Amino acid sequence: MASITFESVGKVYPDGTRAVDSLDLEVGDGEFMVLVGPSGCGKTTALRMVAGLEDITEGEVRIGETVANALDPSRRDVAMVFQNYALYPHMSVFDNIAFPLRCRRLARTEIRERVEKTAGVLGLSEYLRRKPGALSGGQRQRVAMGRAIVREPQAFLMDEPLSNLDAKLRVQMRAEISSLQRELGVTTIYVTHDQVEAMTMGTRIAVMRKGVLQQEGPPQELYDQPANLFVATFMGSPGMNLFRARIVESNGALHCAVGDQQLDVAGRSLDACRGREIAVGIRPEDLSAQVEEGQPALETTVVLTETLGAERLLHVGLQAEPVVTDDVLEIAKDIDATVASDLEHESHHVTLVARVDASFGPTPGAKVSLGIKPQKLHFFDLETGSVIR
Amino acid sequence: MRARYTWRAFSRELIFLALAAFFCIPFYLLFSIALKPNSELFTSPLSFPTSPDLGNFSEAWKGQAGVGLGRAMFNSLVITVFTVAILILIGSLCAYALARRPSRLSNALYFMFVLGIIIPFQLGIVPLYVLFRKIDLIGSYLGMITLWVGVSLPVTVFLYTGFIRALPRDYEEAAQVDGAGVLRTYLRVVFPLLRPVTGTVAILTGLFVWNDFFISLIFVSGSDRVTLPVAVYAFVGEYFTQYNLVFAAVTIALLPIMIFFVFAQRQLIRGFTSGVRG
Amino acid sequence: MSGSLTSEKAPLPRPEGRRRLFSRSRVRRRGVRQVPWLLVVPAVVAVLLLRYGATVLGGLYAFTDWNGLGLYPNWIGFDNFRAMFKDEATSGALWHTLQLATMFVVLVNLTGLALALGLRSTLKTRNLLRAIFFLPVVLSELATAYIWQYIFLYDGPLNLFLGFVGLDEWKRAWTADPTWALYTILFVLIWQLSGLTMIIYLAGLQSIPEELEQAAAVDGASAWMRFRRITLPLLAPAITVSVTLTMIFGLRVFDQVIALTGGGPVSSTETLATQVYKQTFVFTRFGYGAAVALFLTVLVAAITLVQAAALRSREYRV
Repeated sequence: MASITFESVGKVYPDGTRAVDSLDLEVGDGEFMVLVGPSGCGKTTALRMVAGLEDITEGEVRIGETVANALDPSRRDVAMVFQNYALYPHMSVFDNIAFPLRCRRLARTEIRERVEKTAGVLGLSEYLRRKPGALSGGQRQRVAMGRAIVREPQAFLMDEPLSNLDAKLRVQMRAEISSLQRELGVTTIYVTHDQVEAMTMGTRIAVMRKGVLQQEGPPQELYDQPANLFVATFMGSPGMNLFRARIVESNGALHCAVGDQQLDVAGRSLDACRGREIAVGIRPEDLSAQVEEGQPALETTVVLTETLGAERLLHVGLQAEPVVTDDVLEIAKDIDATVASDLEHESHHVTLVARVDASFGPTPGAKVSLGIKPQKLHFFDLETGSVIR
Repeated sequence: MRARYTWRAFSRELIFLALAAFFCIPFYLLFSIALKPNSELFTSPLSFPTSPDLGNFSEAWKGQAGVGLGRAMFNSLVITVFTVAILILIGSLCAYALARRPSRLSNALYFMFVLGIIIPFQLGIVPLYVLFRKIDLIGSYLGMITLWVGVSLPVTVFLYTGFIRALPRDYEEAAQVDGAGVLRTYLRVVFPLLRPVTGTVAILTGLFVWNDFFISLIFVSGSDRVTLPVAVYAFVGEYFTQYNLVFAAVTIALLPIMIFFVFAQRQLIRGFTSGVRG
Repeated sequence: MSGSLTSEKAPLPRPEGRRRLFSRSRVRRRGVRQVPWLLVVPAVVAVLLLRYGATVLGGLYAFTDWNGLGLYPNWIGFDNFRAMFKDEATSGALWHTLQLATMFVVLVNLTGLALALGLRSTLKTRNLLRAIFFLPVVLSELATAYIWQYIFLYDGPLNLFLGFVGLDEWKRAWTADPTWALYTILFVLIWQLSGLTMIIYLAGLQSIPEELEQAAAVDGASAWMRFRRITLPLLAPAITVSVTLTMIFGLRVFDQVIALTGGGPVSSTETLATQVYKQTFVFTRFGYGAAVALFLTVLVAAITLVQAAALRSREYRV
C-alpha cells in the first residue's frame, strides 16, 4: 500500500479547457480521501490522472515513492471502480473478478482461491457463474468492488461508484464500502458530487471547484470551519443560511447591521471590516427558537414549515440583502436553476432555514425571533469569498 | 491511454496514407488513360497524359450497337428510381403492419422475408426468364422493375420492420387521439419518422440495382433498354484492345456514383452501417 | 374525425343493453385501432411469386432436361447433378467457388478489421481515409474490375512495375495464368469489399464502451490482452454480420470473373454463378443451369445458416 501525492498537478485538454489547476494534495497511506465538488470541477479528471487514463499536463503524481506520470495504467498497481462499473459483459462474475489476476499470470489454483474468498466477503458466492447482465444494480456494484479488492492493489480509485443505485441501496453500500476500506486499510480516493456521501465516508475531504482545490480536511472541520463561501454553501443540507450585513459601530461595540436590525457580535474580532459590507452565514441548527436573556436574535416571519418527525425546518423571511456571488450561484444552479434566478432577482429579502425542535410549530405569517450565538456565525469577504476569522 | 498525437500516431498515419494511395492507383490509371490519345497509350502507359484528349469520351459516349452510354445511363436511372420508389412504398407499408400487429402470422411473414434475403436469386431467375420471354417482358423497363422489386423486397421489409419495432407507438396514438385515420397517420406521422431507414433502404437497394450486372445481362442485353454495366460490357467486348476507349466508357459509367459519393459520402457510409447492423 | 366516429357507431342495430352485456372486450378492441393486414398484401404477394414461386419452379427445372425451346421437358431425376460432378467446368466451378469464398472471407475480414482498428482513433485524416477505403464498395464491380484487368495484363502496369524493380522473372500474364488467375479475382474482391468490412467493424468498435478497455488497462492488461480478451469478444456481433455477409458475396462472385478472366484460362476460374449464366443462357441448357443454381442456393443457405448459428453462439448476451 502507498500514499498518493499530487504535486502542482495541472490538466489542460487539447481544446484548451483547463480541468485541473496546480493541485497539491497528499493522500496518506490507508486514508479514505473523498474528492467532492459540483460537476465539471475536475475531480474525475484528477482521479483518472492517478489511474493513468488521462495524460498529466503539468506537475507530477506519485504513487508511493514512484513518479507515475509516464507509467502505463497497467503498471500502476491501482484498482479502479467506474461509475457504470465497466463489468466485462461477455465474462461471468468469476471471470470478471479473476481478470486482473490472470493479467498478472497468477497460478490457476491461487486465482480460484482468491476469487472465491473475495466473492465470499462480498456475498457474491452464489452468482459466480452468472454474467453481469443477469445481476441487479447492487450486485453489479459488488462485482466491480470485487474486481478491485481481489488484487490487493496499492490504492483504490472510485469514480462515483454509487450514483447508479437507488437511494436506499446507496445508503447501504456507502456503509459497506466504508467498512470494507477500513478492514483492508487500502489507500482510497473516492470521487463524488454528493456532499452527504463525502461527509459520511471520508476520513478527509477535498472540495474542488473549477479545477481548483478549495479546502481539504476532516469532514467536521470542513463543516465547522469552511474556508470560503463555496465550501460553506456546498457542505451541509440544508445549506448554510447567508445574508449581507454591514459592520457598524454603535454604543462603543461592533454590530452587524442586517436590514434595519442590529446584531450584537461581541467576542468576534471584526475590526478590520469596520464600515464594510460582508456576508454572514449561519447553519440551520445554529438558529434557535428559544432566545435566552440578552442573546442576540433575528426578527423573522415564518413562510412555511416542514416536519421531519423529530425536528422541524422553519423557512423564515428576513429583511436583508441576499448574498449573490459566483460561488453561491453556481451551487444554487447545481441544485435547481429556478433557485438561482430567484436569488438574482430577489432583493431586500432573504429566506432562512432554521432546524428547530418539532414541538415548536408556528403558523405561516407568525413573527418569530431566532436566537444566535455570535461564535457560531461565519463571516466572509464579499469580494474574495474567503472567510474572515 | 487516450493518447495525444504522438510520433507513433504520426507514423501510423503515414502508413495508412500510403495504403490509401495504393487503393487509389486504379483510379489514377483510369482517369489518366481515359484522357490519353492512342499514340501515348503504348509509349507511356503510366505517366500522366501530356496532352489530355477528351476525344475518347465522345467516342465512348456513342456506345456500341447503336445504344449510347447516355441512353444506358437513362435506362439505369429509370429502372433504379422506379424500383426504389415502389420498394419504399410497399415495403414500408408491409413492415408497418408486421411491426404493429405482433402475432404468429406476422412472425411467420417476417421469417419469410428474412429467409428471402439469404436465398440467392440465381435459381429464381431461370423460370422468370422463361416467363418473361413468354409475356414479352424481356428488354423492358417493366420487366426489370418487377424483377428488382422481387429481389430487393425481403431486405427492404427486414430493415423497415426492425426500425418500426423500435419506434414508440406514442406518435401514432397521439395522431389517433387527434382524430387522424389510418392512412393519414401513416402518411403524416409514421412515414416521416421513418426517414433514416428510408434513406438506408434507398442507398442500399439503389446502389445494388444501379451496379448490378448479372440480372441486367440476362434480361436486357441486346435491347435498347441496356443498363450502364451491360453497355460497358458490350462496349469492352467490341473495343477490348483500345484501353483508352474502354477506360473512357468505364469512367462515364463510374462518374455518377463517384460524384454522388463525394457529396454524400457521410450519408452513404451511415446508410451502409445502419443497413448491415439491422 | 367524423369518419372514425361513424365507423364506430355503424354496426349496432342491437339493443344497447345486450351489446354491453356480451361484448365488452369487443368494444374495447374496436377502440384500439389496428393497422390493417391489407397493407402486407402487395409485398407478400410479390415476394411469394417472384422469390419463392420462381425459386421453387427453378428447383423443379433442375430435374429436367429442358433446353428452353420444347414445351414439355422430360423429368430426368438426378441426372443433371450427376452430370455436374462429371463436367469438369462445373465441378471445377464448385471447387473454385468454395476456395475463393473461404480465402475471401478470411482475408477481407482481417483487412477490414485492421483498417477499422487503425482508423479508430487519433489520426487526423481518418475521415478522408475512411472515405477512400470505402469508395470501391459503392462502385460498379464490373466496371472497376476492368481497370484491374488492364493492370494485370502482360504489358500492363503491374509487370511494368515488377520490371522496374528488377523482378523480371515474376512477370506473367496474371489473368491468363491458370495458377494465378483465381488469385487476381481474390485480390480484386478484397480491394473492392475491405471498405465494407471496415465500416462494419468500425460500428462494432464504436458500440464497445470506452470504460471497458480502460478498466482492463487499470486491471493490468497489456495492449494485446485488452484486444484479445476484451475488444475481440465484444466484437462478436460485428464478426457474425461481417463474415455472413462476405460469405454470401464470396459464394455469388460473378462480375469480377466476367471482367477479369471470363472463367478462363481453361475454366480455371469458373464459379457457380458464371456456370449458371453460361449453361442456361449461353448454352441454353435450362435444366442443367437450374441444377447448378439449385446447388448454389442450397450451398449458400446451408453455409450461411450454419455459420451464423455457430458465430452467434459465441456472442454474449447483455
